[in-house]
Amino acid sequence: MRRLALIPLAVAAVLLPYGLDRYAIHVVDVAIVFALLGIGLGLVMGVAGQVNLAQIAFFGIGAYACAILTTRAGLGFWVAAALAVLVAVAVGLVVAIPALRVQSHYLGIVTLGLALAFINWITNTPEAGGSEGISDLPVPPMFGIDLTSEHLFYYLEIVVFAIGLAFALFVVASPLGRRMRAMRDDSLAAGALGADIPLLRVTAFVLSGLYGGLAGVLYAGLIRYVAPETFSVANMFLLLAMVIIGGRQSILGCVAGAVALSLLREVLADFSVYAQLGYGTVVVLMVVFAPTGLAGLPRLLRARLSRHRSGERAELRPFTPDDPAPVQGGGDMLEVRGVSMRFKGLRALEEVSLTVPAGQIRGVVGPNGSGKTTLFNIVSGFYVATAGRVLLEGDDVGGVAPYRLARRGVARTFQNLRLFGDLTVRENLLVALDHTRTAWTWRYVALPHAVVRHDRALRDQAARLLDRYGLTAFADAQPRSLPYGIQRRIEIARAMALSPRLLLLDEPAAGLNGEEVLRLAEMVRSLRASGVTIVIIEHNMGLVMSLCDQVTVLSGGRVIADGLPGEVAVLPEVVEAYLGEPAYLSDDNEDAPEAAR
Amino acid sequence: MFPSPLHRILTAPAAVLSLLVLTSCSAPGEQAGAGESGTGPIKVANVNAQSGQLSSLGKWENKGVKLAIDEVNKSGGINGRQVQLDLFDDQGDPTVGTNLGRKIADGGYVAMLGTAESAVTLAMAPILKDAKIPNITSGQSPKLAGLKSPFLFLNAPTSVTYDETLAKYLVETKGLKKIALISNNGTYGTGEHDAFLASLKTRGVTPLADEVVTPDQKDFSAALTGIRDKEPEVLFIGAEEVESGLIAKQARELGVKAVLAGGAPMGTEPYLTTAGQDATEGAVVSSPYLTNDATEATRAFAAAYKTAYGEEAEVHGAKAYDGARILVEALKATGGAGGQKLADAIRATKYAGLLGDFAYDESGVGIHATQIAVIKSGELVPETAS
Repeated sequence: MRRLALIPLAVAAVLLPYGLDRYAIHVVDVAIVFALLGIGLGLVMGVAGQVNLAQIAFFGIGAYACAILTTRAGLGFWVAAALAVLVAVAVGLVVAIPALRVQSHYLGIVTLGLALAFINWITNTPEAGGSEGISDLPVPPMFGIDLTSEHLFYYLEIVVFAIGLAFALFVVASPLGRRMRAMRDDSLAAGALGADIPLLRVTAFVLSGLYGGLAGVLYAGLIRYVAPETFSVANMFLLLAMVIIGGRQSILGCVAGAVALSLLREVLADFSVYAQLGYGTVVVLMVVFAPTGLAGLPRLLRARLSRHRSGERAELRPFTPDDPAPVQGGGDMLEVRGVSMRFKGLRALEEVSLTVPAGQIRGVVGPNGSGKTTLFNIVSGFYVATAGRVLLEGDDVGGVAPYRLARRGVARTFQNLRLFGDLTVRENLLVALDHTRTAWTWRYVALPHAVVRHDRALRDQAARLLDRYGLTAFADAQPRSLPYGIQRRIEIARAMALSPRLLLLDEPAAGLNGEEVLRLAEMVRSLRASGVTIVIIEHNMGLVMSLCDQVTVLSGGRVIADGLPGEVAVLPEVVEAYLGEPAYLSDDNEDAPEAAR
Repeated sequence: MFPSPLHRILTAPAAVLSLLVLTSCSAPGEQAGAGESGTGPIKVANVNAQSGQLSSLGKWENKGVKLAIDEVNKSGGINGRQVQLDLFDDQGDPTVGTNLGRKIADGGYVAMLGTAESAVTLAMAPILKDAKIPNITSGQSPKLAGLKSPFLFLNAPTSVTYDETLAKYLVETKGLKKIALISNNGTYGTGEHDAFLASLKTRGVTPLADEVVTPDQKDFSAALTGIRDKEPEVLFIGAEEVESGLIAKQARELGVKAVLAGGAPMGTEPYLTTAGQDATEGAVVSSPYLTNDATEATRAFAAAYKTAYGEEAEVHGAKAYDGARILVEALKATGGAGGQKLADAIRATKYAGLLGDFAYDESGVGIHATQIAVIKSGELVPETAS
C-alpha cells in the first residue's frame, strides 16, 4: 500500500518544474542540495549520535575539490565529481579519528575546529582562489542535455536525491543502522552486545562525508562558483537548525526540515537580520516543546490523544524453557587469577581469584562496595585489570574489547538497566541477534538484497525469541514505557540473543516482586539447562541460596569465602561482613559507576 | 511473515526512476523572461549587503544609488517612465548573490547596481551575462576587469589604479623606499596587497615586512610589533574602513612612526573616527573622491546627500551615485530598453562624474586615475601632482 503512495509523489516530482519559473526552480535546486546535506547530518548525528559540526566542511570539500580539479587540473566534470566525492569520504575518515577518543560536546568542539580550519585554509590558499573563490566552473555534460537550464539540472538532482534518500532509509532500517542507533542510545551496552563501536563511528562519518561530497558536487554543478562564505560556520548552524527542526532521528524529518528552512530562508531573504534571530527562536522552541522535531510531531500528538483513552493492558506471558542441551565446552568456563583493580588511590579489587566450571550457576555476593560489579566489568572487558589474568576457556582475554568478548560468547546484563531507550523491544533484541562482523558492511553497497535476506532471517529469530520470553505483546513498545520487571526480562532476553556460553547477570532480581523472583529463578535454571554457564551478582540471599551451585563472597575487594551456599552462609567472617553493613538487603545503588569506558 | 521494510525501500527508487524516464520527453522551463515591456516603470535592482559584516558599506552604496534615482524620478523619469529601484540584501554571501542573480533575471529588471563586495559580484557575473543584464558594480577587484564580461562595469578604478598612483607618489615623488605592508586576507585586502606589491616591484622596491591579518581581527599587536622593529618609513594598510582605523590606532600606540598610506577606506569618516586624529595625521590616501569640497558637482552632491540622509557624503555613496547616473544616461539613450542595447549604451556613455571622467574600455573599467591626499587635522588635503 505504501509503495503505491510513492507513485503520485514521483509524478509530482517530475511535473514540479513545469509549474515553476527560473528563480523558483533555482530555490528548489538549492533546497535539494541542502536536503542531501541534511540526510548526511541526520545519519551521523541523529542515527549514530556523533555530534558533527564539520558537515558543512564536507560539503565545501566536495564543491572545492570539484572546482579545483575542473578549473586547475583541467579534468572533466564527472571525473572531477567522482574524485571530489572520494576526497570528501576520505576527509570523513580523518574526522572520524577524534570520534574514537572523544564524544558528545567534546566531539562537537573538535569538529567545529576542523570546519573552521577548512574555511581558513580555503581563504588563504591561492590554489583555492582565496576569499574571491573560484568562478567559471564548467557545465556538467550530460548526453547533449543542456544542464545550464536549472529546470533540467533539477532532474539530475532529484535522481541523485532519490537514490541517496533510499540508500539512507535502507541503511537506517537495516542491521547496520540498528547498531548505530543502539550505539547512540548506549554505546557501552551496544559494545557489550557485539557492536564494533570504533568501526561504527568511522562508518557514520564516512556516510556523512559521502552525502556532504555528493551535495558539494551538485552545488558546484548548479552554481558553478565556489567561495568560502558559503561554507561558513553560520551556514553550519543553519544546517544544524534544519536537522533539529526536522527531527534528527528521522531521515525523512531531516529532509523536511532542510527543505522547509531553505524555502523559508528565501521568503525571509529581505529580512536576514531577523531571519537569524527567527531560526534561533524556532530551534529553542523546537528543542523545548518537540525534541523529536517535525518528524516526531505525529507520534507526540497521537500519544497526547491516546492518553485519555484506556486501552487494554498487554500482559507479560510466561517464559517457555528451551530444549535442554549439553553444556557447551568442557572444563573451566571462566577463570580469574589474582586480579587486582585500582582506580587512582582506591583499591577496588585485591588479588581476586575464582574458577567457574562450565555449566555452573555461580553466585557472587558481598556488601555494597565490595567490588562485585568491578569484577563483572573486568570479565566483560569494560575495565582492564591492573594486575592478574582473566581466562575464558583457557584463553587469556585480559584487555580484549567488550564487543570481541561478546562475539566469543560472553553476555551480560547491567545493574541499572541499559536498554536502548529509543529502539523498540524487538529492535533491542535484533541488535543482539546480529552476529555479523562490521567487515560485512560492504554488502550494503554491493548486495543490498543479501542484507534484506539477512534482516528477514533476523526478524524471524527475533519473533521466536520474543515469543519464548513472553514479550510478543510488547514487541513494538519502547522499553522505557514498560514496567521495571518487564525491562529486566527484556535485558535477559537481549543478552541471550547473543547465544552466549557465559552469562553474567548483575542483580537481576533488583526491583522485582516475590512472584517475579520465582519466575526469574526458573528462567535462570532453564538457561543453565540449555547449556549456558551463569555468574550472578545478587543481594537477595533467598534467591542465591536456592539457585546457586557455588557462592563466592567478596568483601572490601577480597574473596573472603568460596563454597557451597549452605556452608558459606554460616561462616563467621561472612556474617560479620554482612552485619557490619546491615543495609545488605537494600536493592539500590551498589559500588562504583557501571563503567567509565 | 513480516513484510520487510527494507524491501519496500529498495523498490522505491526504481519506481521513481522509471517514471522519470517515461516523462522526459519535453523539457520544462523554456519560457522567455518577462519584463522589458515598453510601458510601466523601468525596474532596476540594487544588490548590496544590508546585514552582516559588510552592511555599512552596503548601506552607503544604497544611499548613493537611491539619491541618483530619486533625482531622475523627480525630474520626470526616463522618457516619461519612472525608475523603480528595488533593494536586495546579499548578506555579503556569494551564494545568496547567485540566488538573487536568478531572481533579478526572472523579475524583469533591466539592470543591476552593486554589489560592494567583489566576491559577490564575481559570483553573479556569469548569471547576469547569460541573462543579458548589465551590472554596474562598486567592487574594485582586478579580477572583475579580468572577467571581460560585456555586461559588467565598474563605477570606480580597480585596486591596481589606486595602488599604482599611491606607489608612484610614495616612491618616486617622496623617495620613500623603506615600506612595510599590512593587509587582510579578505577579497578587498588581498586585492590591495597584490596590486600594491606589484607596483612596488616594478619600481624595484622590496617591502621590509608583509603581514597578513584576517578581516575580523581586532588586535594587531603581534604583526605591528614585528613591523615596528623593522623601522619602516611607510606603513601600507590594505583593509576596510574600521579595520584600517584600528590598525592605525594600534600602530601609533606601539610606537610605529611610519607614514600611513592606503586606498579609499582611509579617507572615510569611520576610519578617521576609529583611528583618532593623532593617529591619522599625515596619512597618505589614494582615492578618486577626496573631499565633498573638490568641485561644483561634489558640493551639490554632498548638499543633496546631507538633505536626504542627514549625514556627510563619502566615497562609497559618491561611487554608487556615479554608477546610477551613468545607468540613467544609458537608459535615456536606449529609451528604457535593456539587454545588449543597454550594455552598448553604457559603454558608449561619456560622463563627467564625481570621481572623474568616465569612459569605459573593453574590460568594463570607466575611470583610470585616482588622486593623492594627505590628512591634515582630520581633513583630506589634495596633493597636487608634481
